[in-house]
Amino acid sequence: MSSITLNNITKSYGNVQVIHEFSEIFQDKEFITLLGPSGCGKTTMLRMIAGFEKPTTGEIKIDNVTVSSPSKFVPPNERNIGMVFQSYAVWPHMNVFDNVAYPLKIQGVSRPEIKHRVENALESVHLSQYINRMPDELSGGQQQRVALGRALVSEPRVLLLDEPLSNLDAKLRESMRFEIKEVQRKFGITVVYVTHDQTEAMAMSDRIIVFNRGVVQQVDSPINIYRNPANQFVADFVGKINFLHGESSNGTITFSGGQSMSYSGDKLGSVVVAVRPENIFMTQDRGALRGTLTHSYYLGDENDCRVDFDGNIIRVISSGRSYGEIKAGSQVWLDFDEYLVFQDDGVDYTKILS
Amino acid sequence: MQVKNFLSFKTVLIFLIVLFLLVFNVFPMCYLVFKSFTGESGFTLEAFKRIYTHALNWNALRNTLLTAGLSMIFGVMIAFPLAWLVGRTDLYGKKFFRTLFVMTYMVPPYVGAMAWLRLLNPRVGTLNVWLADLFGLSQNLFNIYTIGGLVWVLTTFYYPYAFITISRAMEKMDPSLEEASKISGASPLKTVLTVTFPVMLPSIVAAGLLVFVSAASCYGIPSIIGAPGQIDTVTTRIIDYVYVGSQEGLSDATTLAVSLMIIANIVLYISTFICGKKQYITVSGKSTRPNIVELGRWRLPLTLLVSLFALIVVIIPFATVAMTSFTKNLGKALTLDNFTTRYWHILFTRKGILDTAKNSLISASVAATAGIIISCVMAWLLTRTRAKGRQIPDFLITLGSGTPSVVIALALIMTMSGRFGINIYNTLTIMIIAYMIKYLLMGMRTVVSAMSQIHPSLEEAALISGAKWQRGFWDVTLPLIAPSVVAGWFLIFMPSFYELTMSTLLYSTDTKTIGYELYNYQTYHSQQTASAIATGILLLVIIVNWLLNKLTKGEFSI
Ligand SMILES: Nc1ncnc2c1ncn2[C@@H]1O[C@H](COP(=O)(O)OP(=O)(O)O)[C@@H](O)[C@H]1O
Ligand SMILES: [Mg+2]
Repeated sequence: MSSITLNNITKSYGNVQVIHEFSEIFQDKEFITLLGPSGCGKTTMLRMIAGFEKPTTGEIKIDNVTVSSPSKFVPPNERNIGMVFQSYAVWPHMNVFDNVAYPLKIQGVSRPEIKHRVENALESVHLSQYINRMPDELSGGQQQRVALGRALVSEPRVLLLDEPLSNLDAKLRESMRFEIKEVQRKFGITVVYVTHDQTEAMAMSDRIIVFNRGVVQQVDSPINIYRNPANQFVADFVGKINFLHGESSNGTITFSGGQSMSYSGDKLGSVVVAVRPENIFMTQDRGALRGTLTHSYYLGDENDCRVDFDGNIIRVISSGRSYGEIKAGSQVWLDFDEYLVFQDDGVDYTKILS
Repeated sequence: MQVKNFLSFKTVLIFLIVLFLLVFNVFPMCYLVFKSFTGESGFTLEAFKRIYTHALNWNALRNTLLTAGLSMIFGVMIAFPLAWLVGRTDLYGKKFFRTLFVMTYMVPPYVGAMAWLRLLNPRVGTLNVWLADLFGLSQNLFNIYTIGGLVWVLTTFYYPYAFITISRAMEKMDPSLEEASKISGASPLKTVLTVTFPVMLPSIVAAGLLVFVSAASCYGIPSIIGAPGQIDTVTTRIIDYVYVGSQEGLSDATTLAVSLMIIANIVLYISTFICGKKQYITVSGKSTRPNIVELGRWRLPLTLLVSLFALIVVIIPFATVAMTSFTKNLGKALTLDNFTTRYWHILFTRKGILDTAKNSLISASVAATAGIIISCVMAWLLTRTRAKGRQIPDFLITLGSGTPSVVIALALIMTMSGRFGINIYNTLTIMIIAYMIKYLLMGMRTVVSAMSQIHPSLEEAALISGAKWQRGFWDVTLPLIAPSVVAGWFLIFMPSFYELTMSTLLYSTDTKTIGYELYNYQTYHSQQTASAIATGILLLVIIVNWLLNKLTKGEFSI
């Protein structure tokens, strides 16, 4: 019922361009995540959809109605959007009930109706027993749920969330993820979610938009973002990855250390082979490439290893049970199960996070 | 379209405030400076030459610099340890002491002069006589009518300015700086000396300079204490010259005022632009709870010491003034025979006093109300917009407050009596404008700091909930800043209400103020009546303090 259309959006502050041209349609009931390192422009993007910032160029439509364009601007209070701010923005002088009831009061809903709907909203964020508390009597997680309840109570067309879980501890963060997902399913709304946490993005989204320095790198499903990253930045930012430099010619890639492996792709010349640690098989008897195991860390669910590959250190992750099977200092064989080859443009993508 | 309108709305607001300040602040000051440097044939230093060939004026300038300088040094020497003891240690009764010292800040300084006059009069001063009896001396110990006496009263009434500035900086200081010193093995005293003091140095210097300017611009104290001892200061000379009434007198006053203004502006420049910048580096934005130093076996002795200080500097003077208001014959002690409520009766019945009180009430209320409206607008412009030029009124307001009262009043007299199309001389309006220019800054600071503590997302949350910005302001912003708005209102109201210096220059027969009336009674008619008025003002200050503490749930601090 609610789609968001972004047409040729850009945003500059003075002569600093923080969002480069971007067009996309967010479908009805879609869970879209804006993912990127901090300072890349995620909040700015979200605030343009909310109407707190005006795009420098371009047009925003909600349900095919223009809300922002060079000739037209609908202020945030007329957009019928729910939003959860990074700092919660729970009003300290109102109790939980009044905070959540506020959007309905503005709409002029009748008192009994307000009471009913606030109770429902608090129910769905598991806060019913705190209805009369003041915000300073609530924990961070509870305040965050008040903010969520307030954003949902008027059944908005669109819900915007700006790093809503970043201030919570790890356990609470995980359970809130599912609660937000649950709420979205229940209310059937379109969600735009901002985070710099890739696990969060993977776990919740229908589609992820990866940003860097105001430039959209890739728009895709979580699986594709992970398995077919569009470039080295995405590959590096989402998940763990090894980058190995080499030369590609005649169906082989020769690594800087001298070893080589066969390659059937179309890239030639200087290349970078990107391979995720869990996609490398490490054995002692035979394989395609040779190296020396230098360290091995037992993390419970996995065995996190470092292999010296002709002077480059490669990270290899195998199952936790394999810990101790190979001694540090032994020679090992490596096989790459799934990998990507990028043209080498000379930029070190492991160092530039915005 | 809407956005455009909104922008021009901001511009209009800034323009209006700047216009007000330009007409009533910048223009008069510039005119004053212009006048003092021009003669019949253009630029000249004639006026300065003439003024400073009088030994009297040289003396006055020297006295001003000397007394203000000494008050600054003593004031800081008192304020720093006091701020540390009250703010950062487990001293007994910290809250009480803090309230007491902050309250002194709101008391008119001339009350101190009245009290110490009674206590340390060289012949009959109560304290003098008592001390002489106690030690069996043939002569009284102290004489208030000296430079030393002047410094004493200035110090005891201006150290709270330093106390408040230093306390505020101490509260904001990142406690981990001190913790790092302790973990490195430094004792609490060593930590104070090697970390706390150096880190706070810019604030301490700023506090000292504030005391200096305030003491140098003070008129009430030197005129009450200096006059009998024939000690002139720049402020008393200026007012003497104005009272001469002639054109020449006025132009001599102008020249002296410009000297004072130059001193004040240099000091203001140093403290805002040099110390102010450094201050910024030392404090962290986090509002962390300062760690409390345990005084151990020093706790009781130090509490006693602070109590003694409070007794001598606050309680005894205030009590003296209160007691004077009940005394029939000032030559005798206050016994039952010598007790009277006559002067309190006068306070509540004499038309002259009631009329002047009404004038003060009206002009202070109007100044506070108009001032707080400007403060709110400024707070909004400074913290919520990026409007171009919003720093200009901010700068002008700071400048106005840093200008000595005599200078403001004189500049207004010179320019607002019809010569330039505006004639508001002899009206309450000119008083109100003078008060606003002098005291606006306190109100503005209070509201701005409250506003900057409200995260903008709180207001945005109201917008996204569907509220128009006016509604959001009403429902969210206003309730949150209301206590500060009230506090800011009183911070403009109180000093305006009992103002003496500017009122002395600006009053007319119909627009006398309570401060002026009190001064008149004190110097010419009846010290007891003056004391009754002063005690009334003290009570008002106490009530206002209590009210503000209630309103802000004990978090009120200047
Ligand atoms: N009001 C502003 N004025 C100037 N620059 C801004 C403003 N707001 C944000 N920026 C800049 O825009 C960039 C993107 O900011 P933001 O959207 O907040 O990033 P994110 O939310 O991804 O951390 C940052 O470099 C930031 O410094
Ligand atoms: Mg952000």
